[in-house]
Parts: sequence; structure tokens; C-alpha cells
Amino acid sequence: MSTPTQTTKSDPSVLVRLRDLWNDYLPYWFMAPMVLVMLLITIFPGAYDLYLSLVEYKLSEPGTMGQFNGLDNFRTAFTSGGAVNSFTLTIIFVSGALALETVLGFLLAALVTGVKSERMKTFYRVAFILPMAVAPVSLATITRIMLNSEIGVIPYMITQYTPFAAPNFLSDIPLLTVMLVDTWNWTPFMFIIFYAGMSSVPETLLEASRVDGAPLWRRYVHVIIPYMKPVLFVAILIRLIDLFRTFGLVFSLTSGGPGTQTELVSINIFQTGFTFVDLGAASAIAIVYLVGIIALCNILIIKIGFEGVWE
Amino acid sequence: MTSKRSGRKRRNFIKATGVGLLGGLAGCTRGGDEASDGNGDGADDVDLSVSEFQDADIDWQQFEGSTINIGAVQHPWVDAIKPAIPVFEELTGISVQWNVLPEQEFRTKRLTDVSTGAGEWDVFFLDQVVNQFREAGWLQPLDPYFDDDSMYDEEWYTMDDLFEATRWQAHGGGYSDTWTGIPITVEVQTQFYRTDLYEEYDLEVAETLEEFVSNAQTIQENESDMVGTAGRGQKGYGMNIYILNTFIREYGSQLWDDYPDDSGLDSEGAISAAEWYVSLLQDYGPDGASSQTWSDVLSTMQSGSAGHIVSDANLFWPSLTDPEASDAADNIGIAKTPAPADGEFAPNAYSWQISTSKNADNSEAAFLFMLWASSEPTNTWLHLNSSAAFSVRQSVWENDEFRSRVGDNFAQVTLESLQAAAPDPFDAKYPEWGQTYSEELQTAIAGDQSAEEALTNAATAAEDTADE
Repeated sequence: MSTPTQTTKSDPSVLVRLRDLWNDYLPYWFMAPMVLVMLLITIFPGAYDLYLSLVEYKLSEPGTMGQFNGLDNFRTAFTSGGAVNSFTLTIIFVSGALALETVLGFLLAALVTGVKSERMKTFYRVAFILPMAVAPVSLATITRIMLNSEIGVIPYMITQYTPFAAPNFLSDIPLLTVMLVDTWNWTPFMFIIFYAGMSSVPETLLEASRVDGAPLWRRYVHVIIPYMKPVLFVAILIRLIDLFRTFGLVFSLTSGGPGTQTELVSINIFQTGFTFVDLGAASAIAIVYLVGIIALCNILIIKIGFEGVWE
Repeated sequence: MTSKRSGRKRRNFIKATGVGLLGGLAGCTRGGDEASDGNGDGADDVDLSVSEFQDADIDWQQFEGSTINIGAVQHPWVDAIKPAIPVFEELTGISVQWNVLPEQEFRTKRLTDVSTGAGEWDVFFLDQVVNQFREAGWLQPLDPYFDDDSMYDEEWYTMDDLFEATRWQAHGGGYSDTWTGIPITVEVQTQFYRTDLYEEYDLEVAETLEEFVSNAQTIQENESDMVGTAGRGQKGYGMNIYILNTFIREYGSQLWDDYPDDSGLDSEGAISAAEWYVSLLQDYGPDGASSQTWSDVLSTMQSGSAGHIVSDANLFWPSLTDPEASDAADNIGIAKTPAPADGEFAPNAYSWQISTSKNADNSEAAFLFMLWASSEPTNTWLHLNSSAAFSVRQSVWENDEFRSRVGDNFAQVTLESLQAAAPDPFDAKYPEWGQTYSEELQTAIAGDQSAEEALTNAATAAEDTADE
């Protein structure tokens, strides 16, 4: 009989304690579902990736699978697996495409901001963001046909309407071609963010600079760009991270070729993992890549973000 | 550039872009598993009688009530056989579930299914990775089922009717003593040429490589808006090397003279073959031939921009001769792939086979499906009632009704080519060294190294890989 009595007596205090626990840690409870999701989709796969990078995990050799092999996977990937080449190509690709997309996105935003008619502004906004709606694989499929030297419209137009001979886009300048196609696909993203940022520059500031007699370029350099710094920084950072993840477009357009001339890290990882079925080596490359991207982004945020943008 | 050429280019661009767009969008929207039952129609709606299978001394009903899962790539075979599935279901009492995926997605899912031991698919398509899967211990050999009197009737099945090349491939391309699966489709390399231009320039169909080069040269020099030939240059183990391997054999060499020590890639014959193919594409191929895939080759010929396809899948024939798809539809000829004057005719053949894994729950029921699907009645019905032209059975290619549908010349060239075919032996590490070999060849076609350097590098890479 004593047990139920004790339970009854303790019930209110349990409830109170639970309520206190809820109230005291309210922000954490709200965060919990997201933390759980992060654990499931990021932390656990990341930890498993780290484990795979340290063991023998070649699917075609099940006899040795799971044996700890230290840093052998890293050595294999970076000495004979072409990882060094793919890292170099990725840096060139990301730098080139990011620069092009940023400059073109900014120019387009400036042009549309300068348009007087609201109707035309809407038209340009819609027209300029359309390329972003095309899926990379569809874009690559269409682009392959458009660049074909025999039946493609682009070499045809160049030969027909310019004094130049059309280059062999996918075999002579493959990396540049991939960069340009990505630029066509993703400049709209930069455009739309820059346009929003440019539209939020207070009219009073622009008015003041006009009264002071500043020419257009000075207004951009001394008023608009400084005001847009946070927008510029965030857009570039997001696009930078996204560019490092480029896969479908390049895979469908060149498969990483000719030879290994467009074999970005993402393609090298795919090839190592799913063609050579060496998940250990693929994981090793992925780990180095992930750490590299996180480090680069943190340096940018700390060094440029805090000091240069949000000082 | 002539106006005729300009108009044609524009038309082709619109047509090709339309096809590409639809294909791309279809690829995007289809996405995940397309699980479905065999077909909505009943067996009675199909002109294929269950009684044709009941003649066999096989206990078709022994797995009645079970269900088999088929993992398949998007392929005309699937579309062609689906209407007949109710016949199989009525015959055996086994239900069929399809999981049809785009090729790359299919490969990834297949690898996951068999390597993790999930065994979700009882039957799945298998290709060049057959020995990789076999050596990893994932495949279920079919020999015990062939030895079981209740499951196999030798006299009824007429095994000899299957092309020898396909039976050889189903034995892991000579690397396995046991059956790794049953072939369901086969394609063989043939030559395509423009009959109107051959007539105009009084050309003879090339039987030798030298004659082929001469014909390509004549067309390229006389037709300002055309290239002499088109051929696969893109890397990948199903791309440029799929074509080159034929010429390597025809020059008297072979892959893996001695596995794993001598790949044969740096042999005199292999280097001669590579030099011939590389210079052919550089001299008489389209600009940027190194990035051409099979679909580019097909489009170039369809657009009337090339005089020949030197050697590629005979399955191009319907696309090349369809007036809706091809500007050159009325002027396409087909012939056997050329060979060196002192060489041997030995075109490449490629089969899809269906296999079952050690972890599958219903491998025995799956075997009955394989047998039914590759049997003579099913094959004949399938090829007479659809646009299919990939039968693994000689009797289909000799069938008068089928020949009149696909064209006598196409059927005869295919039949003779398949009878002489010598497919590639895909060893367990072929996906790995084949990729490197194809990259080296692509670099040579792009003009960044000589064919000899490419093949020497490829040989070293192949031997190192095989030796690991």
C-alpha cells in the first residue's frame, strides 16, 4: 500500500520538475529536432566516412574489407588516384566560374536597376533568372548538342557570323567550356541577390552623392558597393560552396575528359567509389575535400566577414 | 558553307535539341523506383500461348505464389517483354515486380543491392562488371539450376540456338566455368555508309581498313560540308575502347595475352590498331572527335554530316533509317565492319544478361523467369510484335517474317557478324583499367599524345591494376 501513496505524493513534484526542465532549457528543446536531424544526415554519415577512410573498403575484394589500414587510402588517392590533379582543376574551375558569375551578376543587376520602366524591370528579372531553372543534367545534354562541331548551333553561328573559326569546345578548351556553361546556369543566382541588395540602397545616399556631383562610377565605388558588402559577401560565399559541389553538369558534359582535363574532385570521388568500387580511397578524398572547404569558408568568414563586412 | 547545309544544320539543331530536351526532362522527372506489376493486361490479350511453354519438361508451377523483383535499366527489352509478362505469370503462378531505373542510377542501386547483401532484386541486368561481381562472391551461379531436371529441359530450350558469343559472355567472358546469368540482348558492330554518295563516286563497300580510309577520303574531299566518318572518341569503358578493341583483334592481337602479366595493349597489333583509329578520326572524323559519344556519332550520321560510321552498334539501323529521325534515312547502307587486308574479321559484340545474386530470396523462381524470357517462343514473339532487333537467338535472325520486318540486308549482316563475333573478355578489374585505357586513348585522339604512347601507358596501368 505504501508504494502507490508514495507515487501519488511524488507525482506533482515530477510534473513540476519536468515543467522546470522544459522552461529552463526551452531554447534547447526547440533546437533538439534540428540537432537530431543534423546528427542523422551530417554527423553520422561524416563519422562513417571518416571510418571508411581509415579501413580497407574495396567492394570487389570482400576478403579484406574492414581491416584498419591507417593512412593507406589517403596515400593511394593522392599518389596514384589522380586526386592532386582533381584538386588543382577544382580550384581553377571554382575561381574562374565564381569570378565570372560575380562580375556578370553584378553588371546585370546594375543594368536592371537602372531601367526606368517597372514593367520592363519585371520582364528582365524573369528573363535573367530563367537559366537557373534548368536542371544541370538537362542543360548539359542540350549544351552537348549545341556545341557539337557538326550539328551544333554555336560552332555554326561562330563560323557563320564571326571572322573566327569555332574552337572544339569539349576537346580543345574543355575546362573553360564547363566554366562558361556553369556561368550561364548560375549567374542568375548572383543577379537576383545583387539586384535585391542594390534595390535596398537608400535613395537618400544616392541623392546626396548626386548632389555632390559624383559620377556614376564613383557612386558605385563609394556608395553602392560599400553598402552592399554583406550581400556581396554572403552571395559569393554561398556560390563558392555550391561550386565546390558541382557534379552533374560536368559529368554529363565531359565525363571528366578529355583524359582527366575536367576531372573535378566530385567526379574523382564518384569514379573512385563507383567505378573502381574503392570506397575507402573515395572516402579519404572526400574527407580532405570536406575539411578543405570548411577551413576555407571559416577563414573567409573570420578574416573577411567579421573584419571587412560586419566591422 | 552552302545554304543547303545551313538549312540542314538548323533543322538538325532544332530536332536534336528537342530530342535532347525531352530526354533530359524525362530523365529528370522519372527519378526513383518505378515499381509496377508486370502489365495491366491479361495473358489472354497477348498473342503468345502458354501451351508453347507447357511442352517443356519443366515444372513451371513449382514456385507458385512467389514474387520476383526485377531490377532493370531503361531498355527497349523491358518495353518489349512487359506485355508478355502475364503469360509468364499464368504459366508459373509467379508474380513479377519491375524496378526500372535510368542507367547510372541503376548501376549505383545494383551495386548497393548486391554488395550490402540486401538481395532486394531477384533478377537484375548485368554487363561489363560481371566478373567484378562474380569474384566478389555476389553472384549466384546458375549451373545447379541447369542440372535440375525439374527446372531445365535441354531439348526444349535449344541452347545451341543462342549465339556462341553470348553464351561465352554469360560465362564471365571466358573467366568463369559456370553460368553467371542468361543473355537477353545482343548487339554487334557493323559499318554504316551513305549509299547515294557511294553511287555518285562509284565506291565499293569497304572490306578492308585501307579501302575504308580511301572511301572516307573520297567523300570528305568531294563533299565540302561532310566529314568522311564518325566514331566514338569519348572515354569510358563502353565508349572509345569498345570500338578500338575490335580493331586490336583484327590486327591479330588480343587483350590479356597473359593475365595479369601481359595486357596485350602495347603489342604491335594493338598499337597498329590504335594508330589506325586515331589517325582515321583525326583525318576524316568530326572536329572534336575525342569527345564524341555513341549518341553524337548517331546524330552526326542522322544529320547527313558524315559519310560513314566506321564501326558501331547494329542497333543504330532503325534510328538511321527512320525518316522521322534521320535526314539520310533513304540512303543508309549497312555492311560488316572492315578488317585489315591480312587480318581477321572479328567484330565486338555486347550482351546484356540477367543474373541473380546469392542474397536473393527467390533465385530459383528467378531462374525460371530467365529461362522463359530467353526461350525461343518468347524471343520470336517479342521480335515479331515489337520494334526489337536484339535477339540472342539465331533462329530469330533467320525467321522470314522478322527479316522482312527489319530488312534482309540488316538481318544478314547482323547474323554473319554475330556468328563471327569475338566480344571483349571483361575481367574483374576491367572497370578500373578500362577507364584508364579509355582516358589514354581519348588523349591520343585529342592529339595530346601519340597512339603508341597512349597504348603503352594503358598497358602499364592495366598490368599494375590487375597485379594489385
